[in-house]
Amino acid sequence: MSKNLILNFEKINKSFGQIKAINNVSFNVDKNSIHGILGPNGSGKSTLMRILSGLIKSWSGDIFFNGEKIKRNSNIYLKSFGFMIEEPSFYEFLSAEENLKIFCRMIDCNSRSVENSLRRVDLIDWSKTKVKNFSYGMKQRLGIAQAILHDPDILILDEPNNGLDPKGILEMNKLVESLQNEGKTICISTHILEDVEQLCDTVTVLKKGKLILNSSMKELVRKSNLINIKSRKIALLEKFLQNTDYNIVRKSDKKIVVKTKRKIQEVCSIIPSHIPISSITKDSGLTDIFL
Amino acid sequence: MMSNLLLNELIKMVHKKRSYISFILILVLVPFIVGAIDHGGNSLEKSLYGQLSDSFLFVGSLINGYLATYIIIGLLISHMPFLSTIVASEIVSGEFSKSTFRMYLSKPISRRRILLSKLIIVLVYTSLLMLFFIFYALSISLLWLGKGDLAVFHKGLLFLSDGDVLWRFLLAFFISNIVMITISLLCFLISTFSNNSVTPIIITISVVFVGTAISLIPIDLFQLINPYLFTGYVNIFLTAFYDPIPWAKILKMFYICGIWSLIFILLSFYKFETLDITE
Repeated sequence: MSKNLILNFEKINKSFGQIKAINNVSFNVDKNSIHGILGPNGSGKSTLMRILSGLIKSWSGDIFFNGEKIKRNSNIYLKSFGFMIEEPSFYEFLSAEENLKIFCRMIDCNSRSVENSLRRVDLIDWSKTKVKNFSYGMKQRLGIAQAILHDPDILILDEPNNGLDPKGILEMNKLVESLQNEGKTICISTHILEDVEQLCDTVTVLKKGKLILNSSMKELVRKSNLINIKSRKIALLEKFLQNTDYNIVRKSDKKIVVKTKRKIQEVCSIIPSHIPISSITKDSGLTDIFL
Repeated sequence: MMSNLLLNELIKMVHKKRSYISFILILVLVPFIVGAIDHGGNSLEKSLYGQLSDSFLFVGSLINGYLATYIIIGLLISHMPFLSTIVASEIVSGEFSKSTFRMYLSKPISRRRILLSKLIIVLVYTSLLMLFFIFYALSISLLWLGKGDLAVFHKGLLFLSDGDVLWRFLLAFFISNIVMITISLLCFLISTFSNNSVTPIIITISVVFVGTAISLIPIDLFQLINPYLFTGYVNIFLTAFYDPIPWAKILKMFYICGIWSLIFILLSFYKFETLDITE
């Protein structure tokens, strides 16, 4: 096992009655990486995170943390983990600070950790406010605060950008990046593919409980023969591309994705100057894998 | 660590309004009943004397604080399971329904310890409620109606002297508390199976209701099984005012309730430790 591995899932299986929620899933997570876990609803992302967090007890397979097999009857390993699974649910009748103190007492951290965590997620001014008065986005941030309370080595964040406005998403992504810069490993599940492409070093895609892809983003981009072309005049660009041998895979209001084995520079050179181009970049192809 | 978990549960309990409902209800209801006893004392005395007044001459009044407390306990004891299970019904299922277990159980603490801290809170709450119920009733009754001998029905009319009564109320508290704790533990067990706080109360009260019916219906089969059901001991407090006190019966109640409590606790722990949190 590589020294760079922090987490290793081996043949994980979990069924709910007749439904196989996780089907023989194996993959690794590198130390100090941001690892994206992707998949449509019901693909098994949350189930996998619940298994790791000890919320789901009956499953088969092995999980190794830092090379050591996680024992079913002990949850000491959770000291190194911080979890935010699905939308965070707090004790609504308590303030943000009191909520964090509740968790703090379970992991033996001090009141300074509570203050630091609240400051980190920009909720320090709301520390005395009852959680029932918090917006969804504030609860998301408080969820991150409780996950980082004890300064864990690895963070498991299930859709942390859910319910956040664009500014909130930007701040959350910055926070995730800064946590990585501090040496932490972050496993993040999200539906927002742009975030994955921007943030993640490695990615795992699940579909109906099965592993579809496990790769580094660099490798994914390198192997992909898709190119993103962004333009303000998308109709004009589309008309032009239809008369070429470029195969249009997807299009939206602002961009067209084409399939080609040509290099970006070559694509650049053939587009006429009267079609304004904002950017031409390699596409990882995650959208197609995801869909 | 256990003290931290207990503190957590205590904080959660004191911040929930429902924890106070039982205390407020008793706080309001007891003076109301004592006032009613004071107001309707004559008719109550007549029904107590019954035909005895034809043969004996009674001097003074039987209505006093001790009798009022005895009546209040008798009136309300069968309703106490409703009140004593308020916290037990919600302490586990409430965390399921609000999904707070997702964070609380993903910390490096064993589920056994977490459930133990909740169990202790249930025991403390039930005991405090019973203590408050009996001694608040006693305090209000004594302040309102004063002291005196206690007249109770046991093999006829039994008079217990003023100085012989107080310890009997203490005994009544201890023995009725054991039954209430068993009922709370049943509710606690159902709470580990349920994801809402209403179902445990409904099931528990239904069990108590059926058990009480079994104890009251004079059918051979029911009378055979009744001594082994904890529900048959809801009125056990009455034995504290018998002379002599039937210690054998109290000891039997202690064993029966103890066995049932143990079963409920073991099942709760088994269920909670093997439970998948999927909500």
